[in-house]
Amino acid sequence: MARYVLSRTGQALLVLWAAFTISFVLLQAMPGDAVLIKFQNPEYGLGPEQLADIRAAYAADGSLASQYLQTIGNFLTGNFGYSLQRGVAVSAQLAVNLPSTIQLAGLGFATALILAVILAIFCNIPGLGRLRSFIHSIPSLFVSVPTFWLGIMLIQIFSFRLKLVPVINPGPWEGLILPVLTVAVPISAPMAQLLLRNVDEVLTRPFVAVVRAKGASHYWVLWRHVARNASLPVLTVAGVLFGELLAGAVVTEAVFGLNGIGGLAEQAVTSQDVAVLQAIVVISAATFVAINLAIDLLYPVLDPRLKTKLGTAR
Amino acid sequence: MSFKNLGAAALIGALSLTISASVGIAEDAAKPVTGGTLIYLEQQAHTNLYPPAGGFYPNGGVLNQITDKLTYQNPKTLEIEPWIAQSWTVNENATEYTFRLRAGVTFSDGSPLDANAVAKNYDTFGLGNKALKQPVSEVINNYDHSEVIDPLTIKFYFKRPSPGFLQGTSVIGSGLVSLATLALPFEQLGDATKIIGSGPFVVESETLGKELSLKARQDYNWGPPKFKHQGRAYLDGIKFVITGEDSVRIGALLSGQADFIRQVQAYDEEQVESQGYKIYAPPTRGVNNSVVFRPDNPLVADLRVRRALLHGTNTQEIVSTLFSVNYPQAKSIIASTAQGYVDLSSKLAYDPAEAAKLLDDAGWKAGANGVRAKDGQPLILTAYESPPQPQNKATLQLVAQQWAKLGVTLNVLAGDAGSKTVDDLDPDKTPVSPAMVGRADPDVIKSQYYPKNRDVLRQKGGLSDKVKSFADGRLNGLLEQLSSEPDPAKRLTIAGEVQNYVIDQAYAIPIFEEPQAFAGAPYVQGVAFEAVGRPSFYSIWLAEH
Repeated sequence: MARYVLSRTGQALLVLWAAFTISFVLLQAMPGDAVLIKFQNPEYGLGPEQLADIRAAYAADGSLASQYLQTIGNFLTGNFGYSLQRGVAVSAQLAVNLPSTIQLAGLGFATALILAVILAIFCNIPGLGRLRSFIHSIPSLFVSVPTFWLGIMLIQIFSFRLKLVPVINPGPWEGLILPVLTVAVPISAPMAQLLLRNVDEVLTRPFVAVVRAKGASHYWVLWRHVARNASLPVLTVAGVLFGELLAGAVVTEAVFGLNGIGGLAEQAVTSQDVAVLQAIVVISAATFVAINLAIDLLYPVLDPRLKTKLGTAR
Repeated sequence: MSFKNLGAAALIGALSLTISASVGIAEDAAKPVTGGTLIYLEQQAHTNLYPPAGGFYPNGGVLNQITDKLTYQNPKTLEIEPWIAQSWTVNENATEYTFRLRAGVTFSDGSPLDANAVAKNYDTFGLGNKALKQPVSEVINNYDHSEVIDPLTIKFYFKRPSPGFLQGTSVIGSGLVSLATLALPFEQLGDATKIIGSGPFVVESETLGKELSLKARQDYNWGPPKFKHQGRAYLDGIKFVITGEDSVRIGALLSGQADFIRQVQAYDEEQVESQGYKIYAPPTRGVNNSVVFRPDNPLVADLRVRRALLHGTNTQEIVSTLFSVNYPQAKSIIASTAQGYVDLSSKLAYDPAEAAKLLDDAGWKAGANGVRAKDGQPLILTAYESPPQPQNKATLQLVAQQWAKLGVTLNVLAGDAGSKTVDDLDPDKTPVSPAMVGRADPDVIKSQYYPKNRDVLRQKGGLSDKVKSFADGRLNGLLEQLSSEPDPAKRLTIAGEVQNYVIDQAYAIPIFEEPQAFAGAPYVQGVAFEAVGRPSFYSIWLAEH
């Protein structure tokens, strides 16, 4: 088990380094640079000599290798530099944006999971008849709802028409209700679909028939035997869905005017604010890697067969 | 309660409401109320608040509340009036300016706003500060140095005449900040809490990229002397909330969650006004929203081609299709509300027949596919949209449709800032570009066209090293005269000459006079704007509602 953990962790670190390096190279290869974009903005109306001075002051013309080494060195010591566009330290921007994204993504994910489980439970209530096929079709409906449209609709209906929750100056939790729903609905769809299909599939397995024959009730079978088996693939897909979750969060943050890494990234891309982008890439990669690592490490716990393969079972 | 009773009660309620409302308005109009917090929705977060960066509207919207200027430009008369400077003298050839400051003015950190502080501000704005990476301000031309005569008297020296300087002391980009703020490196000036001014409001707190809270300065007592309102601001505070979505800003205003919003699209104006809310569209009084050419590109090097496109552009159609009465059709390269404006509408007529003839004369013949070509090369032009300008993409696309009728293709591209900025510097890649800039002084024309400033035409020796040969000595000579002619009357004559010259050369197609569009709730009183459309919240007060 220790070797398994070690090799998985090593792989994770390698992925992280690769993400940093690839993003660095790509950012450098983009046309223009942060100094150009910031100071050739007509708002400054600077002349060519003044621009040359500024380029020199920011050492924007240094060699690629030296910039790479300097950046990676700074990152290792926790120095993320300054955002040229915004005129603040990158760490200050992260301190504001990271927690709100984590909050939104975390609550969104949890809500999506709950929605998915509720749908799966509803579908497996015996004797639903036609209603069952309707519930079965809800995920397809959810998945096709554009996040942007959903967000605007929720605001228009619940905030502007019914005046239930304000969008401007809401309380800390109040302000999360609509955004979390917006993020959760499209994410819950693939989870629910997978869960439904897996439950149906596992129910046809011979061992279920055996358990039933022994006199187990419907819910006992579902809870003790099917849920566990059906949830493994859902867990795998959850790691992948996390990326989609962040994409949904970007749109949601934009619609609701929330702080977040998504919006920060979008602004940083348009202004090629390299310091900010580099930090975001590394943090996102770290999150992604950490989630997948956690899932990899969770597998043996959920599935005893994997434990045996890894030689950790007694 | 029966339905009948309910109706009666509602009627009585409504009546008493209207009565109290009308009484309220009558009283309110007479007497401003102190107190309350204004909820102001901004479309974009501010960036760097180094005062010369105030041209970016969200920055100007913040700086205008927290900083004061040496002088005040009356937005109605455009005259320069006293503010922090109570009087001034200018020598005959506008190379020496002496300002006498008002006594007792302090920055919000308690430090004095005296001649020493003003000197340090202008040395930074006029010369930049390399060590702190602070760039030069574009509104200050030919600056040499300052001299503190006594604690309240300061003198500025210029290398060459600088007649635009007096107006330059009144603009957003000349907001005075404390020595502590000036000592910070450029890359830290995006933190609003570090911008210490002497204005009627002080930054109380900030959530980066999302919210900014300003509170009134209780001891503020140095508003422009000609203002009726003196003393502290009426509001207790202002809360800026960044709300990027157009529909959310409008919805929040109309549902009572916000009091005042910036950036209202022309197509939303009717909805706002029909519900009793007010649209404010102060003019920016500078170079009009235009399309400019880069004559270094051989496709538009021929004057006949540029004139053809000028006469092939139906600006009336653009204004009536995409905009509202708040966006007047342009009659020159500068706005009719700008200083030195001359009406050139006779030279800007829409005349597709003339346009087609000019293109034929220039050798561009219509091909089988409808696109004009010459020596096998089709007339295909490219422009990048400029997102900060109102409905710029739609505007360019309509221009493209109009030009297509002449057999000219205009590709409208949206690019990320990087490729856009790089391509836009290269006339071969971007022969056509949208352009505008606001400032209420004739120097604005120089800012826009001069190669050492914004260089919109892309001349050799300007911003771009990709330009092969295009330079217009006559234009540049006129622009230099404009920015260094001390005699005000002569200066306006030169401003007229430049406008004629730019249109005669068809360097630009002026489209509309750009306003800044805001909307406010009916109870928001005392709304005011400075000369180029940044809001001033100093005299705003909230009537009962």
